[in-house]
Amino acid sequence: MAEHFDLAIVGGGPAGQAAAIALQGLDLSIAVIDEQAQPGGQILRQPPAQFAVRLWLPGRAYDRLKAQTEHFGRLDRVSWLGRHTVIEIARDGAHFALLTENALGVRAITADRVLIAAGCQDLAVPLAGWTLPGVYTAGAIQAFVKSQQYVPGERIVLAGTHPLQLLIAAQIVAAGGTVAEVLFAQPISAMFRAVLTKPLVGLRGSGNMLAAAAALRILRRAGVPVSFGSALQRIEGESRVTHVILASGRRIACDTVGLNYGFVPQSLLPRMMGAKVRPAGAAGGFAAVHDEWMRSSLPGLYVAGETTGVAGAPASQAEGELAGVGIGLDAGWIDMAEAGRQTRRARSRHRHLQAFARLLDTVANPLPWFPVPEDDTIICRCEDVDYATLAAQSGGGSANAVKLITRCGMGPCQGRNCEPSLLRMLDDRGLTSDPGFTQRFPARPIPVSELADPG
Amino acid sequence: MSKTDVLIIGGGLIGCATALHLARAGASVRLVEAGDINAGASGQNAGSLHFQMERRFLENGAALADQAARIIALNRLAIDEWRGLEVDLGVDLHVSQKGGLMVAETPEQVALLEAKSRREISGGLATQLLDGDAARALCPALGPDVLAASYLADEGHADPRALTPAFAHAAAEAGAVISTRQHVLSITRRSPGGFDVAAKKGDEMETLQADQIFVAAGAWTPAVCALANLHIPLFPVALLMNATERTGPILPQLIQHVGRRLSMKQAYAGNVIIGGGWPSRLAQRPDGGFDLNARASIIPLSRSGNLRAAIDIVPQIGALNLIRSWTGVTTISADQLPIAGAVSRVPGFYVAAGGSAFTLGPTFARLIARVMGGERVEALDVLSPDRFNHLNSFMG
Ligand SMILES: Cc1cc2nc3c(=O)[nH]c(=O)nc-3n(C[C@H](O)[C@H](O)[C@H](O)COP(=O)(O)OP(=O)(O)OC[C@H]3O[C@@H](n4cnc5c(N)ncnc54)[C@H](O)[C@@H]3O)c2cc1C
Ligand SMILES: Cc1cc2nc3c(=O)[nH]c(=O)nc-3n(C[C@H](O)[C@H](O)[C@H](O)COP(=O)(O)OP(=O)(O)OC[C@H]3O[C@@H](n4cnc5c(N)ncnc54)[C@H](O)[C@@H]3O)c2cc1C
Repeated sequence: MAEHFDLAIVGGGPAGQAAAIALQGLDLSIAVIDEQAQPGGQILRQPPAQFAVRLWLPGRAYDRLKAQTEHFGRLDRVSWLGRHTVIEIARDGAHFALLTENALGVRAITADRVLIAAGCQDLAVPLAGWTLPGVYTAGAIQAFVKSQQYVPGERIVLAGTHPLQLLIAAQIVAAGGTVAEVLFAQPISAMFRAVLTKPLVGLRGSGNMLAAAAALRILRRAGVPVSFGSALQRIEGESRVTHVILASGRRIACDTVGLNYGFVPQSLLPRMMGAKVRPAGAAGGFAAVHDEWMRSSLPGLYVAGETTGVAGAPASQAEGELAGVGIGLDAGWIDMAEAGRQTRRARSRHRHLQAFARLLDTVANPLPWFPVPEDDTIICRCEDVDYATLAAQSGGGSANAVKLITRCGMGPCQGRNCEPSLLRMLDDRGLTSDPGFTQRFPARPIPVSELADPG
Repeated sequence: MSKTDVLIIGGGLIGCATALHLARAGASVRLVEAGDINAGASGQNAGSLHFQMERRFLENGAALADQAARIIALNRLAIDEWRGLEVDLGVDLHVSQKGGLMVAETPEQVALLEAKSRREISGGLATQLLDGDAARALCPALGPDVLAASYLADEGHADPRALTPAFAHAAAEAGAVISTRQHVLSITRRSPGGFDVAAKKGDEMETLQADQIFVAAGAWTPAVCALANLHIPLFPVALLMNATERTGPILPQLIQHVGRRLSMKQAYAGNVIIGGGWPSRLAQRPDGGFDLNARASIIPLSRSGNLRAAIDIVPQIGALNLIRSWTGVTTISADQLPIAGAVSRVPGFYVAAGGSAFTLGPTFARLIARVMGGERVEALDVLSPDRFNHLNSFMG
């Protein structure tokens, strides 16, 4: 028999936590399910408890999130299902049936309502040499640093268009690592121009601006060069990265590269369920569509946080709060007047944060600056499909059609990494608004024996 | 406005292959596909080349089994067709005809195998009955529960992703004009003969004139035929498929089961593909009826049952990772046999759909093209749409 909950929340990051907190005090059973062992999501990736770390996430920006995580840990009636991966959510009559997997096997859960707050992931950017050992997304490097205070490399180059790489570089420096250079593909004037068109919005997001400024100071003190208008062209090396080459021809020696061209929502679960999504923005990907209470297009299914668009942790918190109250409202646990009162502040915070997120999207817009892959650059790593193969087919139809012909996206990751690249290629050929690869069961690979009838 | 000898509606395997044969025979051919080439059942199927009688014909009693025997003759044509296909199309279709084993786990199932194989042998199919050990000698991955198997050396599998595009490509080379993302919206009969067909691409309507129409619209065939005011008794069915991660060679043959729903094979890339006719749930339209354009959903009991059957027959499958389950929609006729041929009530109107048309589609296409060229092809008699003529006595 499946365990039943009033509400299942997928994701224990800022959004999922805020939703659970918004419902505290009500007599409800809530399951919060997360692949990570501990609550906190991407941004608070906590080190394992036995791991002594001196310098854990400095900076005021994180204080509120840490406080929320502590608050979340004190909630009763919330079952924390850490290290559980949700591999399926399906409608089953009056409720939802979820399948999760952990080291012990598959676990079935049912819930009257489901909130998907699955966050986002780094955009994978193919260019010559990106499959060499030593190449990561900047976020992956950050995850090492945050959760283990481990810096994967002796000389790191960060490259891309997203200002977050300044913070990540500073965190690497603080953890004792060496950053050879931070490269922004866009000229600094493009970034300023974007901010100047929306000075008020920029001001309201000044917390983030200050964080970036502080990071810049740390980098300057450490002697880390930060350059603009410096587009990456190739990554080179034999068995591991030895250097990168810029479009200008300049060469930088390094053993590790972190790519940071932006983030895309985790949309697999909502898409698998058939919830409506929209193109998420310049970096690509799809964001779940929602109304003012974070209801998705499917009754009983709610979405919050970066699953609905990448806007930073505080926006995720605000959305989580709206979703929690919205769920309470729909279930009749909270009345409309109370719901309005409870969410007035979250709503206005959310509005400002969204405006800032749009500004950040413009500043960080990777579209004009993506490196151009070479013919033999692998685009789909699961199935080894290269750029030339896709270029020869991508005039032929939808992403699904190209997948059928080339196997691009057919591997275990369901195209999580290659889909944005392929959609950009289709877009260049006028095949706009493609819905991408059909997302199917299971969300993560799982041994056949765990799914088979026990017999 | 386009005017051709033939208009083909549907860019799946049957439509594209027929376009090739008609174009090669000198007809001017236009093919209209509502989505992308191969986006229907033809690109979603299991890729089995199965020529032994299907389990469903045996489980529904003697009447159906009799019909199936008549299909054996077609299967023999199909075996030859597949042997020549890669050369004919000049494309690697990953055809593997290393044999097929239909296994049995109980004495009752063994008896069923024996009855089946008698029928096949009298129809001219060289099925061999093997005991469990002999079957395991051929395919060491088979588990200890396999009591017996019937073996047919011609069976195997091919790549559904490659076949239909290869036909489409060859048809275009032979002069057929193929358009995708173009929906047929209406069919009007002209007098004294021929048809006007309205098709929409984006915002543009086009009128297509043709002397003959061939409907090869898979599960959508009844809806397209309805545009010509005809009933075709085909019903949509949604099936489940599963794929494991890639692994080293473990299964050279096609594996099927005589008493349980199971088909299994290792595709050329190394993934094990598991299916066998387990039902999925068709999407419903809010106003009632099935929505064939929305994805069918997985029935969890089908999935666990299908995977159980796979592990019971090939135990090592259990340790592999499942990377994908998908659903595909195909169609089955009122009497389970495919429908292929002329609708004599409406001269110039032809249709083909239903059945296991990955295995048989290339053969149907070759034969239908001959029928459309004016030949009488006896092998297709058993599939004639006219066996349902009574349904159209007040239509047309
Ligand atoms: C690599 C990376 C680095 C980042 N670094 C920063 C940073 O330094 N500063 C900053 O301001 N923002 C950063 N961000 C953005 C940051 O993720 C968000 O601002 C914030 O964490 C979003 O909160 P959320 O609740 O929406 O999602 P998340 O915090 O991402 O939480 C989602 C949770 O859902 C879980 N999950 C997802 N799918 C499943 C599943 N199928 N089954 C079970 N659990 C699942 C995940 O494990 C995760 O814990 C980063 C994002 C990424 C991807
Ligand atoms: C999951 C699954 C597994 C299967 N396994 C096997 C197997 O192992 N072996 C085997 O032999 N068979 C198998 N089959 C059956 C086989 O796939 C089908 O019989 C075969 O592909 C049918 O081809 P088709 O061309 O008739 O139809 P489809 O491939 O479905 O093509 C019909 C086309 O018509 C188009 N269309 C519809 N309406 C219109 C319109 N109004 N205007 C224009 N175009 C239109 C559709 O978009 C579609 O592309 C399987 C089927 C499924 C679903």
